[in-house]
Amino acid sequence: MGSNEKGMPLKKPWRLSLDSWAVLVALLAALLVRAGVFKHIPW
Amino acid sequence: MADAVVIPQVQPVQPALRFLRLIPGVLLLAAIGYAGKLLEQNVGRYAKAHHWVFPNIEYVLWAILLGLLISNTVGVPEIFRTGVATYEFWLKAGIVLLGSRFLLGDILKLGGVSLLLVAIEITGAIAFMTFLGRVFHLKPKLITLLAVGSAVCGVSAIIATKGAIDADDEDSSFSIAAILALGALALFTFPLIGHYLHLGDRAYGIWAGLAVDNTAEATAAGALYSDAAGKLAVLVKSTRNAMIGFVVLAYAIYWASQGQAKAVGNKAAFLWQKFPKFVLGFLLISVLATYQFFSKDQVGALGNLSRWAFLLTFAGVGLRTNFRDMRKQGLRPFAVGAIGEVVIAVFTLGLVVGAEKLFGF
Repeated sequence: MGSNEKGMPLKKPWRLSLDSWAVLVALLAALLVRAGVFKHIPW
Repeated sequence: MADAVVIPQVQPVQPALRFLRLIPGVLLLAAIGYAGKLLEQNVGRYAKAHHWVFPNIEYVLWAILLGLLISNTVGVPEIFRTGVATYEFWLKAGIVLLGSRFLLGDILKLGGVSLLLVAIEITGAIAFMTFLGRVFHLKPKLITLLAVGSAVCGVSAIIATKGAIDADDEDSSFSIAAILALGALALFTFPLIGHYLHLGDRAYGIWAGLAVDNTAEATAAGALYSDAAGKLAVLVKSTRNAMIGFVVLAYAIYWASQGQAKAVGNKAAFLWQKFPKFVLGFLLISVLATYQFFSKDQVGALGNLSRWAFLLTFAGVGLRTNFRDMRKQGLRPFAVGAIGEVVIAVFTLGLVVGAEKLFGF
């Protein structure tokens, strides 16, 4: 782990994991479909 | 008093720039996936019109084959690599959305059976891989990585375990290469074996979810058989993924007791950190669908959205598989992995056939 000039350990910036991002994006997409923003998604 | 170490300041990459870097690769995934879909529709039609005998190849296989062709001939140029690596993101988003096509009752029924099968599979696979690794005189931590990779969930499990047991980079590269190479083989052999044995969609889907190591390959191996088999392969594979924290925790405690890894502090926090969050997302969407939060048309739309996400995943599976890189990793770990995988595949097939007779799914 790195340290700053006072020798204190550096705090890692808080970040969402890939898993959590995937869940959030999927839930957002589901909500948009539920709200009728996307009415039909073709295949 | 000794001077404090001053680490050099690294300029952080702007989020907007990081996002822009993803675009070329994501577009490549989409282009390959869509080309696979067009090939599925048009090649069969063309062959029929010209009276050729040509097997019906699904978009899943076309997308993987196109990706493999690019990766193993011209290679994936640097500009596309960051975006291509997002295929895991699409896989997980696709699995969460697939939850809309499962009712909670089905998950509880099938999940209960699959939990039992998964527990037997994980115990058997870890025991056998450990025995095999010792016979082949592999390094103990390499054996742990191969055992976790083949018993639980492929590359993610290996990466999670590597950090927890302080394994070498070389050992984890070996294990990842072996698991990826065997996953690529499973993609092509599992559907053939399934058809040869006339397995039903359910039995085949559960088998693919139990025996194929990486989530992307398990999803593809299921989808190559049928849509129903693909759904079940995802459900069983997600049950396996949910076990990752417990297995990694057990190994972390073991290696710490041997004085070869850091002790685990807060075990609950450790389990939460390793738990695949997409499994929770999958369950949440399934609960919402069960209580009719979505209309029938909306469930159809979410199902299609999940298929688009998987399309990008399948293109990524092909693009990240490079046989030349895999050959460089050496034969012994691959041999251990291959023997182990064949035994696990036969063992889990027996489990599934036995469970089908017992539970009648």
